[in-house]
Amino acid sequence: MMISRRLALRTSAATAALAAAGLNVAFAADKVYRIGITLPLTGADAEAAHLILNGALLAIKLANASGELKGITLEPMVLNNATATAGQYDPAQAATNARKLVGDKKVLANVGPEMSGSGKAMAPILSMGILATITPSSTAPDITSAQYAGEFDPGGKPIYFRTVTTDAYQGPNMANFYAETLKTPSVYVLDDSGAYGVGLADAFEAQAKKKGIKVLGRDRLDPKAADYSAVLTKIKATGTSSLYYGGTMQAAVKLVKQSYQIVPKIIKGGGDGILSPEMMTAAGFPAAEGWYATNASPHVVDDPKLASWVALYSKTYNLQPDDYAITSYDAALVAIAGIKAVQASGKPLTSANVRDAIQTVHVNGLQGPISFDKYGDLETRVVAVFQFKQNKSAPLADLNKQSVYIGVAPQS
Amino acid sequence: MTGAAIFFQQIINGVSLGAVYALLALGFTLVYGILELINFAHFSVFMVGAFIALVVLQLFGLQGQSVILHGAALVITLLVALAITMVLFGALGVAIERYTLRPMRNVKGPMAMITTIGVSYILFNLVLLATNAQALNYPDPMPEVAYHVGGVVIRLKEILIWIVAAVLMVGLNLFVKRTKIGKAMRAVAQDAEAARMMGVDVDRVVMIAFFAGSALAGAAGMIFGLYYNFTQYSIGYTAGLRAFTAAVLGGIGNVPGAMLGGIVIGLIETLGSQYIAARWADVIIFSILIGTLVFRPAGLLGMLAPNRS
Repeated sequence: MMISRRLALRTSAATAALAAAGLNVAFAADKVYRIGITLPLTGADAEAAHLILNGALLAIKLANASGELKGITLEPMVLNNATATAGQYDPAQAATNARKLVGDKKVLANVGPEMSGSGKAMAPILSMGILATITPSSTAPDITSAQYAGEFDPGGKPIYFRTVTTDAYQGPNMANFYAETLKTPSVYVLDDSGAYGVGLADAFEAQAKKKGIKVLGRDRLDPKAADYSAVLTKIKATGTSSLYYGGTMQAAVKLVKQSYQIVPKIIKGGGDGILSPEMMTAAGFPAAEGWYATNASPHVVDDPKLASWVALYSKTYNLQPDDYAITSYDAALVAIAGIKAVQASGKPLTSANVRDAIQTVHVNGLQGPISFDKYGDLETRVVAVFQFKQNKSAPLADLNKQSVYIGVAPQS
Repeated sequence: MTGAAIFFQQIINGVSLGAVYALLALGFTLVYGILELINFAHFSVFMVGAFIALVVLQLFGLQGQSVILHGAALVITLLVALAITMVLFGALGVAIERYTLRPMRNVKGPMAMITTIGVSYILFNLVLLATNAQALNYPDPMPEVAYHVGGVVIRLKEILIWIVAAVLMVGLNLFVKRTKIGKAMRAVAQDAEAARMMGVDVDRVVMIAFFAGSALAGAAGMIFGLYYNFTQYSIGYTAGLRAFTAAVLGGIGNVPGAMLGGIVIGLIETLGSQYIAARWADVIIFSILIGTLVFRPAGLLGMLAPNRS
């Protein structure tokens, strides 16, 4: 019950901050438009989702306070993508939310979703309704791939923009890191059977082979199963020097614990699906110690240049931001920049015009310059590498303190 | 690792996994044997068991991985915690039977089975809401002692689990075969109406079957948590499905069959992962189940249904 209470407090705090922002700047003459924010705010993904939510809320709050959007006030429309039945993000709920957003003519753009599974459900609906969404964290490449445009972009104009790069870079760049920095001669690749995990592991495996790493095996985990000792025993028997896992925490909690028992000494790593507080709170140390993980964005939350922003975020929400809170802030900046561009052009303020403006926008985000290619993908493709290292003086769930930033993964 | 060492290591893995499945399968088989009812609530009862056992262990001061116990302190603490969990869980099973299934006892059709699915979902969602779907770290009070035998690693934790599971399974078997209540249970399984006419309190027998099955699920939940060092709202699904398969494979309604079925499913899973691939585990398990039912419909040791002729 404690976790639920904490989350409820966070949501209340966010709502209160929002209300305060509205009271400060909502002039009577201003027209109110909305920016959707769709995230899994309850269930297994809730902690990370609240950090992301606050990033977008802060950008909207500051834009309203500055008066830069002449004559209009932006109102966040926060929708939960998670359901109790799923226990986490639920693509069916994400689709329902997408219909809500498209049906509201006051909504000019959306920030989210967090997960690619939701993105796949939302994209066709947003495409037909011509409403741009800017995801701060979903990384499955096929949503913005020309190959799958018929499925995810039936309207014909890209509507799925990202302020992170995709797994087409996250996986391969980590393979480069394994080959060039860790110099591991061999690897065993696992995934968690999910769309994100399989795609990420495939991308890693293909690049690992290109870089001359011997791929000694590839297998798939059932995320609801409890016991991975059989597959880990098999991995041990191959004599591999490293393991790569594509997937999220549901399987990772058990994989991390059991691999510590069975293959404690080999190099182990994964994608942004395991760069999560659950690595410490559920998998726990010492099992998590030494695991590598990537983020599909630069690591800027510790950058001294952002200290005042981090302080403002922490003061406003009583939480420490992470890098995806920053990409979420940047995603809202993109939406706001699109609205300003439409205002400047004198065109009517519609979601279709905002989408067109976002396609060509250049924004100076917290992470650096942001612009998109013709598919909606971020043109800079930085993948940050972290390693879990226990910090006994910091709270266990503090991801920033329980992992260390190693650097940018090689892009060669 | 040599080929033989890998094979025997997977046998060790399979027996440990199978022990959990077997304990769960006993709950399915006990209820089916007496009521001819597949109790799907058992999926979630096991999961709730792991959470309640966690609370019980925390009451004993075992938090996270900070406390390691040795010798008599370890054995006594775990046994007392196990006993408390089993009693709490037996009581939960009795409550489920008394307030949801007994009113359905004389209703024809699949209503009772659907009720068990409903109970399963209620328990599942209660835990999901209480934990917000987060996985919880389990205490790990056992010292990390491992024995190396010709390249095969056997952990103390595994040995303890085998012993506890074996004692519980043999104990249940003796209870059903040797005690007066066990004889009454077998009589009710054979013909409830005749047993009633012979003076057997059928409601009491059913209640005891639910108590025993749920207590074993509680024990399985605690063993699960201690072995894997975590618990989560979703753990009941795969384990429950495999245990149900084990009960059918062994011959549903048959106590030794459930035990054998559990171990066989555990071994199929680990050896299948080693020599075929982990991603084929479900395909292999269910293919063998279907094959068994086609060629030996009563399962490995059982009869198709209690003889009511």
